[in-house]
Amino acid sequence: MTDTDPAGMPDAVEDDQLALSVRDLSTVFDTPRGHVEAVRSVSFDLRPTERLGVVGESGSGKSALALSILGLIEPPGKVAGGEVHVGGRDISKLSERELMKVRGKEIALVLQDPMSALDPVKTIGAQLQEALSVHQPELRRAAARRRAAELLREVDISEAERRLDDYPHQYSGGMRQRVAIAIAIANNPRVLIADEPTTALDVTTQAQVLGLLDRLVEEHRTAVILITHNLGIVSEFCDSVAVMYAGRFVETSRCDHIFLRPTHPYSEALLRCVPNPEKLAEGPLPAISGFPPDLAMLPRGCSFAPRCPVGREIAQCHESAPERHDVDGPAGPATVECHFAVQRSVEPAVAG
Amino acid sequence: MSAAERREGEEAQQADAETRQATVATGPRSEGEEILRAEGLIKDFAVRGEDRMARRRAVRVLDEISLSVRKGESFGLVGESGCGKSTLARCLVGLLEPTGGRVVFDGLDLASLDREQMRAMRRRLQFVFQDPFASLDPRMTAGSIVEEPLLVHGEGDRLQRRRSALQMLAEVGLTPEQASRRPHAFSGGQRQRIGIARSFVLRPEVAILDEPISALDVSVQAQVLNLLRRLQAQYGLTYVFISHDLAVAEYFCDRVAVLYLGQVMELADRETLFRKPLHPYAVSLLSAVPVPALGGRQRRAERPQLIGEVGAVGARPAGCPFEPRCPVGKGRAICKGERPSLTDSGRGHLVACHFPGELAPPARSGQAAAGDLRLAAATPPSFGA
Repeated sequence: MTDTDPAGMPDAVEDDQLALSVRDLSTVFDTPRGHVEAVRSVSFDLRPTERLGVVGESGSGKSALALSILGLIEPPGKVAGGEVHVGGRDISKLSERELMKVRGKEIALVLQDPMSALDPVKTIGAQLQEALSVHQPELRRAAARRRAAELLREVDISEAERRLDDYPHQYSGGMRQRVAIAIAIANNPRVLIADEPTTALDVTTQAQVLGLLDRLVEEHRTAVILITHNLGIVSEFCDSVAVMYAGRFVETSRCDHIFLRPTHPYSEALLRCVPNPEKLAEGPLPAISGFPPDLAMLPRGCSFAPRCPVGREIAQCHESAPERHDVDGPAGPATVECHFAVQRSVEPAVAG
Repeated sequence: MSAAERREGEEAQQADAETRQATVATGPRSEGEEILRAEGLIKDFAVRGEDRMARRRAVRVLDEISLSVRKGESFGLVGESGCGKSTLARCLVGLLEPTGGRVVFDGLDLASLDREQMRAMRRRLQFVFQDPFASLDPRMTAGSIVEEPLLVHGEGDRLQRRRSALQMLAEVGLTPEQASRRPHAFSGGQRQRIGIARSFVLRPEVAILDEPISALDVSVQAQVLNLLRRLQAQYGLTYVFISHDLAVAEYFCDRVAVLYLGQVMELADRETLFRKPLHPYAVSLLSAVPVPALGGRQRRAERPQLIGEVGAVGARPAGCPFEPRCPVGKGRAICKGERPSLTDSGRGHLVACHFPGELAPPARSGQAAAGDLRLAAATPPSFGA
């Protein structure tokens, strides 16, 4: 990920090269319990072919971020501020009508449950053709059908011609997810956001879906945001990673950094609670105590402080929100929101 | 340091290691007594064919499964969806009646028990469900949910039952104050704790855990695994642990059976199965697990990919069920034509394959070495549990 110079005007040429640029995106939900800040001023850039993993526990705002980028947040929620540039164009101020032309064409979404994207009473072929004709009204029926079959072949569905006439229930879970991806890539988007795309799948099927996404990136230069709670998948698929907590990116870096030197205590905690058979002898798994904070009542200081093994006892962590620190770890630079970021990036064993 | 002091230190260390061993309750156990056994278990389900007018036909979901669970161990059942692991679990507790073969619990054939005996047996053999959202009655309080099994089995009086329920809830980390709340007021992890408390309040000897953590968040998964470990050590429980997550199974289980299309492909103790798997399916499954460590892109690029998906249940070939996807046996005459029998390849390592060991297992070094540079160096912080 790159950061544009906030002081100067973004360079037009530079900007053109970005597939997606998100600036200070904030999303709030007005609920009876109060003002819930689901996404809090998130900024990042994505180049074509870049694969960004977004990780965090449920409730950290990962899915809200995805929906906010696409302008799909529904009342009582709303995007409260920020900009989303897709291929250099700000889509955050577009009307719903205009947004519909962008969604699916410029930027597409794949969800965890493929059945939520598929209509059970329409054939797979009809749904693919629909996805195509929305953005290419000039496409003739026969041509759309040919292209639909092509898409099915592209996602490795055998006997594509025949299977166009099947209904979603006749497909297995893995095949449905591949169809959902086929629909998402029908119009060759610049950016694909995949929200837990393999969570419901078996490991061998998961490997196939990741392989498919690989090809997509390589052949169509698509940039991918992969939202997952599985750090193994981040390691195997992504270039860069953003650790999300309480609506913020608390650590962003290249993948190597997070596995070599997780600098934010939350990133480290996330890595540690993955069962590791090599560490059986060390006793119980270091689970993260407590829960993500109530986003309607965020603590004044660092939002992780109440659960943080480093900062739980430190007054500063409870009193002031940490700034962003650009640190230089052993595996390259990272941006970390922690009072101890600099210290922790050079000296692994900070206050235990 | 004097010799005495050193000895004392060593003893303390050893005692420490022992308690840790006890709480962690892992490691290859000595050959325990058998407590639960499946003998040639067969389960058919009647389904309608593709064509709406077609006759109903039987689909074999469990195909002659034999295995034996030892007292005090955690026995893992792993495999992809459709392999029959949940059906097997339900047959093992008598929730489903097998079509053929039998289940023997502590020397008793489940099929031979009358109603009363079955009732008595049920309290010794409990089931924990996967979905903590669907398996708790939304109208009941946590306390009454946990109390209910005691009531059903006519345990004690009202007060005693109440006390046992509260005590059980405390053991899973819930307060008496929380006992009066209904399921919707709890998080997923807490609900699963309530489900565990309900199953364990009768002090069963064996608990069948059907994907007990797969509906939970990563951080919460760790808490529930730790809880299960602690309860196991405390009550000398035997677990049958069903999981599609191999990393979790490896972390949690003493012995593991890998199922594919209703058959046991391989069965061995943890160490053997995960280090020296012999069946190509077990090898493929193991190498497909993404490891959260450096160099993941490289690992995935080098990994052999399985072709196709798990075949439809019922449409099984005459030979090895894995043959159509097998990197070793695909197209080989013997694999196509002859079903391999489950044979002991030494020290209880069972494998059903004509060419065991031909597919090399994945390298395991990366996991501990590369990924944990920092984690290994740091003193383990207490995240609390």
